[in-house]
Amino acid sequence: MPRVLEAYVGEYASGKSENAINRALRLVREGRRVRLADLDLVEPAYTLRPLKRTLEAQGLEVLAWETKELIGPGEAAITLKKEIVSTLAFPGDVIIDVGYGVEGRRLLNLIKGAFPPANGEEALRLIMVVNAARPLTSSLPLILAYLDEFGPVDGLINNTHLGEETTVELIQEGAVLVTAAARRVGCPVVATTAWRPYARQLGPVDRMGNPVWPIERFMSGAFW
Amino acid sequence: MKIASTQLSGEYEKVLRREQRSFMTGNEVVAWAALAAGADLMYGYPITPQNEIMHYWARLAPHFGRGFLQTEDELSAGFAMLGGALVGKKTFSATAGPGNILMQEPIAMAEMMQIPGVWIIQQRGGPSTATVIYSQQELRLTATGGNGEGLRIVYSTASHQELFEYTIKAFNTAWRYRFPTFVLGDGYQAKMREAVTLFRPENRGWELVPAEPILCPPGVPARDRDPVHLRNTFNLEEELYTRLMDQLAAYERIAPEVTEWEAEVPPGPEVLIIAHGIVARAARQAKESLNRQGRKVGYFRPVTVRPFPGQALREIVAASPNLRLLVAESAYGQLLAMVKAELYGFTNPVDSLLKPGVGITAEEIAAAVGRPEGGEAVS
Repeated sequence: MPRVLEAYVGEYASGKSENAINRALRLVREGRRVRLADLDLVEPAYTLRPLKRTLEAQGLEVLAWETKELIGPGEAAITLKKEIVSTLAFPGDVIIDVGYGVEGRRLLNLIKGAFPPANGEEALRLIMVVNAARPLTSSLPLILAYLDEFGPVDGLINNTHLGEETTVELIQEGAVLVTAAARRVGCPVVATTAWRPYARQLGPVDRMGNPVWPIERFMSGAFW
Repeated sequence: MKIASTQLSGEYEKVLRREQRSFMTGNEVVAWAALAAGADLMYGYPITPQNEIMHYWARLAPHFGRGFLQTEDELSAGFAMLGGALVGKKTFSATAGPGNILMQEPIAMAEMMQIPGVWIIQQRGGPSTATVIYSQQELRLTATGGNGEGLRIVYSTASHQELFEYTIKAFNTAWRYRFPTFVLGDGYQAKMREAVTLFRPENRGWELVPAEPILCPPGVPARDRDPVHLRNTFNLEEELYTRLMDQLAAYERIAPEVTEWEAEVPPGPEVLIIAHGIVARAARQAKESLNRQGRKVGYFRPVTVRPFPGQALREIVAASPNLRLLVAESAYGQLLAMVKAELYGFTNPVDSLLKPGVGITAEEIAAAVGRPEGGEAVS
């Protein structure tokens, strides 16, 4: 069975970390060995670090800083774990949480085998997370402009939500927009992801026929 | 799939006009608010946790015909703002922590020369560079930080909707009254995500105060108008004293117009929780949960922390002689000192929950309210 190698990318605050975590845990539940790697350009210590222990307890290998390892250079420096460079050599699935929009993509250059892929079968797939309730990706032209600026991706995820104010209709409207964008650029919609109570209401597929993946919310336990 | 820049501009304008709920970080909200307020120029220097204000402004501004300049430091950013304002541009900056300290010199100059400007402060931990995360430790610095009398107006926000609306309001206040005006946020508000409705203020009947050239207004000096003579240097103590007393009188005059607060006090209150900014959200939640348990707990939140709504607070306290006060803040007594100064002469016990550089939850505040009768007398 080929390994799953995916990097979660997209607009700032689009839900990359939440989706990366949920994807990794879904694979763990399928009995696979999975590593979740934190590749946040600007805030490496603030996304996955506070959740590391919680996620490891669920059987995930998390490549992220521990509080005790970090001396906190703040914004003065970016400190990445050296193991991130060879993370694709991990003998299992690798899910990479890539922070910070378009700039984040450039950081993937640091990872051996990311560009070009190590081999055809095990290429790192870039999955862009889109929340159509975010202003800069809130219409078809805006999503297309964002994709244009970002460069090619291998799939889109519709993660449209408004936090506490989310409605099923809003998620469905997001599905319509994201599917239209995917068709224009010629990539698939991997899924519509939604917090479990909404996913239940959506059913197995969204209005556009994309699979619905329920997600648990972890990031509310992180600082930022 | 190239999207033309003009089409993109139109799409951004729609984001501002359509009045739909959007899921945003506080920093983004500020950038959109400055666009909506008609800000012409942002001058800034990067510092966490305000960076995305600069990022989003720099990204959006060209589509709205606005400008951005990253200067070599906060001193330059602040002085450049004043230059922009002098020639009739609406200018702003955003900073935090050590950047806020550096910004104090141009802010003091703005105060002295009565040059308008808007500063967004996303408080981080201090002293010095400390943490990039969060605190309420820049209250005193922002309200009274310069080497003068603190002739400033400071709005302390508690939600993304407020960040949007008070940023717009701050531009109006600054250009209407010519006192440096601040939106005092914090790292949590900067980074957290919640739903907000953006809008064009004109579409809601909000008047936008225009910016006019201050240094070279139309007309020939001495013939058509008085010459403009802006001073921040005075030769004699008496000159400075006369000028400052006029300015102080002007500030006192406008203070009642700009002062804002929120108060929810049940009849016969036993405790009044006092908090500002994001902590006020926790305070309000604590109040509501205690009210549901039958406790007569009230809540007071200064929205303007400068000028401080002292009169409103005194009226509440005067009406309930046995009222116990609880001040909660993510700093070690900066708000508490303001409250005590405003309540000088009262003898109500005042208790505090002071957690410098750390967030405060509703549960912690509720627990502090439940503590055995504590606190020393205000004075």
